Amino acid sequence: MNLKLTLGKVAKLLNVSTDTLRRWDKSGILTAERSNKLSGHRYYSNESLETYLYDNIFKFCYKWATRKMGQEPPSIFYCQNSSIFQARLSKMEAELMKTDSLKDIYSLLVAITGEIGNNAFDHNLGNWSDIAGLFFGYNLKSHQIVLADRGQGLYKTLKRVKPEIKDDKEALKTAFTEIISGRAPENRGNGLKYVRRVVEMIPIELYFKSGNAELTLTKNDSEVKPRQAQKRMLGCLALIKF
Amino acid sequence: MKIELKKFGVTLTSRQLGKEASAAFKPSLTQIGKEEIVEIIFDGVNTFSPSWADEFLTPLQKEYGNRLFLEPSTNPSVLATIQLLEDIGQIKYQITQ
Repeated sequence: MNLKLTLGKVAKLLNVSTDTLRRWDKSGILTAERSNKLSGHRYYSNESLETYLYDNIFKFCYKWATRKMGQEPPSIFYCQNSSIFQARLSKMEAELMKTDSLKDIYSLLVAITGEIGNNAFDHNLGNWSDIAGLFFGYNLKSHQIVLADRGQGLYKTLKRVKPEIKDDKEALKTAFTEIISGRAPENRGNGLKYVRRVVEMIPIELYFKSGNAELTLTKNDSEVKPRQAQKRMLGCLALIKF
Repeated sequence: MKIELKKFGVTLTSRQLGKEASAAFKPSLTQIGKEEIVEIIFDGVNTFSPSWADEFLTPLQKEYGNRLFLEPSTNPSVLATIQLLEDIGQIKYQITQ
């Protein structure tokens, strides 16, 4: 069924003003339909909205993760619980496996996506800042995988096992570099160390953000150098480019 | 005893599912003889990640030590995961010759 969405609903969903949507319509970024010639009300089909969202998946995910007031992401990206995430991860795996150019690396892409996504559930269950669950989407045409949560972020969760951590930048560095063996009181894994190792092995790029710190890792530059992010966020955000 | 991981699924990625697999398989481990070798088979697994592996393999390593063997695998996610587990646990998994 191809539902029609009003200008106001789409503006709220994308967290932009109705004026912005009108401009996008004129410039062809996100084309609206008209209800009839007389009233000229703009409507959006689910299909055109989904195309826009997949084409701008990271931009949309970033906005969702950094907005002040949380709201549920569109259902195509929303994993309310880890079972839904697992099912969608398996679907992504099946799609990546079909791509010849990825046959040597798909298992590593799925493994790191799994580690980042499952981290969100393992460390935030019962402690989400506002919206429970994970934003998870991918676009095989633009070679992007995005994940974000509105949980507590690395600083808060890592401070439980390493109280001397001072800020988001230090937490980010610790998460990607230090093997934390003293696990009490939290059953913390070492998933992000694994993610970094994989980035060092194959030609992909990782952008990761938590709190007000962010970093970029590539095969040729895998040194963990967190920098100050322009915008603070509650949980974690990751972009994998492959 | 041979443990075929594909019987737990082909996408083995979460800590929660690793824990569930470990708990579900525990009763079968009582059949293992005192000197019997335990062998892990990765064949048929598409993706293997440290969270799942830590919940399933680490307890087996602790329990069976030098009686635990891993069958060789060429899957990159298996190789990378085993390497990380070895570094975290300061151990070396034995590979079946």
